Amino acid sequence: MIRIENVSKVFNAGNVDEVSALKNVSLEIEAGSFVVIVGSNGSGKSTLLNLILGSFFPTSGKLFINDNNITQLPEHERSKWISMVFQNPANGTAPDLSILENFRLAALRSSNKTMKIGIDDDFVELVREKIKKLDMGLEDKLNQPIGSLSGGQRQALTLLMGVMDKTDVLLMDEPTAALDPKSAQKIMELAKEINATLGITIVLITHSLKDALQYGNRLLMFKSGVIAKDINHDEKQNLTLNEMYDWFV
Amino acid sequence: MSQFYLTALQLALCLGPMAMGIFISMKVFNIPDITTDGSYTLGAAITAILMSNHLPLYVVLPISMLSGAIAGTCTGFIHTKLKIDALLSGILIMTALYSINLLVMGRSNVPLINTLSIFDIVPIFENAQLNQLLIAILIVSFLIFFIIYLLKTDFGLAMRATGNNPIMTKALGINNDRIKIIGLALANALTALSGFLVAQYQGFADINMGIGIVITGLGSVLIADTLKKWFNIKKINGQIILVVFGCFVFQFVLAFTLSIGIDPNMLKMVTAVFVLLIVALPKISQRLIKK
Repeated sequence: MIRIENVSKVFNAGNVDEVSALKNVSLEIEAGSFVVIVGSNGSGKSTLLNLILGSFFPTSGKLFINDNNITQLPEHERSKWISMVFQNPANGTAPDLSILENFRLAALRSSNKTMKIGIDDDFVELVREKIKKLDMGLEDKLNQPIGSLSGGQRQALTLLMGVMDKTDVLLMDEPTAALDPKSAQKIMELAKEINATLGITIVLITHSLKDALQYGNRLLMFKSGVIAKDINHDEKQNLTLNEMYDWFV
Repeated sequence: MSQFYLTALQLALCLGPMAMGIFISMKVFNIPDITTDGSYTLGAAITAILMSNHLPLYVVLPISMLSGAIAGTCTGFIHTKLKIDALLSGILIMTALYSINLLVMGRSNVPLINTLSIFDIVPIFENAQLNQLLIAILIVSFLIFFIIYLLKTDFGLAMRATGNNPIMTKALGINNDRIKIIGLALANALTALSGFLVAQYQGFADINMGIGIVITGLGSVLIADTLKKWFNIKKINGQIILVVFGCFVFQFVLAFTLSIGIDPNMLKMVTAVFVLLIVALPKISQRLIKK
């Protein structure tokens, strides 16, 4: 469970270009839920995700994951609970490392990286089986540098890498923004499957209102650094695209 | 004439560890570390002083490498914890090391007289030069295997990924700062090892022996990089071997320059021009192909 208590974030505090990105936001996200966040540019949705990830710390307020206070915890120490799929497919993988090597690091997200060679036959088979399900023909390219793959392929692999090790929360910051429609749909379906089968909490930011309607069981709309709308699963069923467009007017 | 090339081969082997160190800092971590000039001399200075005091080599070697590791740790600490640019961090430590090296040696030059070097302790061949060559080959081969193994381990993967995509590694639970400090410590320990070898090979340590040595290492890594692209070598094994090969090429070019009678005072100039050519040639050839 994620708990956010009165969190504010001010950038460039005290300067002429001071920006109040989040204003006293409080939020509880239950374990296993799939929360979709929409909002205009600069509404504070990405700031919230980055605060949960630990890219920066809040100006005030507290953050908890499974009742652990993570407010001042550095990003690499939060990774035992949190996985991240970035907007840019290039951010989620190390391009010069092979698919196998990237997956090996993902499998060790919450454990120590020791002086032993961890890529053995069993590990290769495990990765091959997981990647085969993507149906992208990547299972035969495990030793290929991941940087040579397309953005859609890399994003799909990043999503799989996110659940290679035990994780409680999967953060997705506009994961389909840079992808073609077919790849985008694949990513969204994969996210839905991960949430349904593994029970991992997903927090997704998207600019696609269609995706926001179609996926997830809770919808949040951010406006000027606050949560303007909090729509539960039942209310979401009756929501239409036109109504959502009206929120942005 | 062949003496020039034999010396070049021997020197290339002695400088191989430093080239591998620069590969780690520059190619693995993407950090331009010029602590090298200081840590190379530091390794040689400590070797010369300890050997002059008749300490055994099994004591001298780890102390020499440890000194380089400490220098690298300082650079890494300044860069990661104080958030100072890597280049400036390296310059600061390199500058400080000049004084430290003078302090260690007590004077600007320490000759190694009446001491048994690492090249003499196992007399396999009667010919001293052949013996030196064999010992150097054994040391460099061991290091190549060690570095290849290291970079294939889980820790090594974390090292490579940190230089490749630090945004990803943070999200994967890797402490980027700590791993960079360890990497720079390792790189400079290897550089100090070169200082240890060269001091014994040439029979002295000199305060100025490290000036511009980073260019030699950099040149070797750049040659390796060019060859990697030409031959489309993607595996880390090949890349490490190419770095040592790059060291040979670099030293052979210098030996050739001397053998055709160019003034030795111009050697640094030749080195700089050669590195410039290595960097510029691929770009020039690409432009020509486009035309």
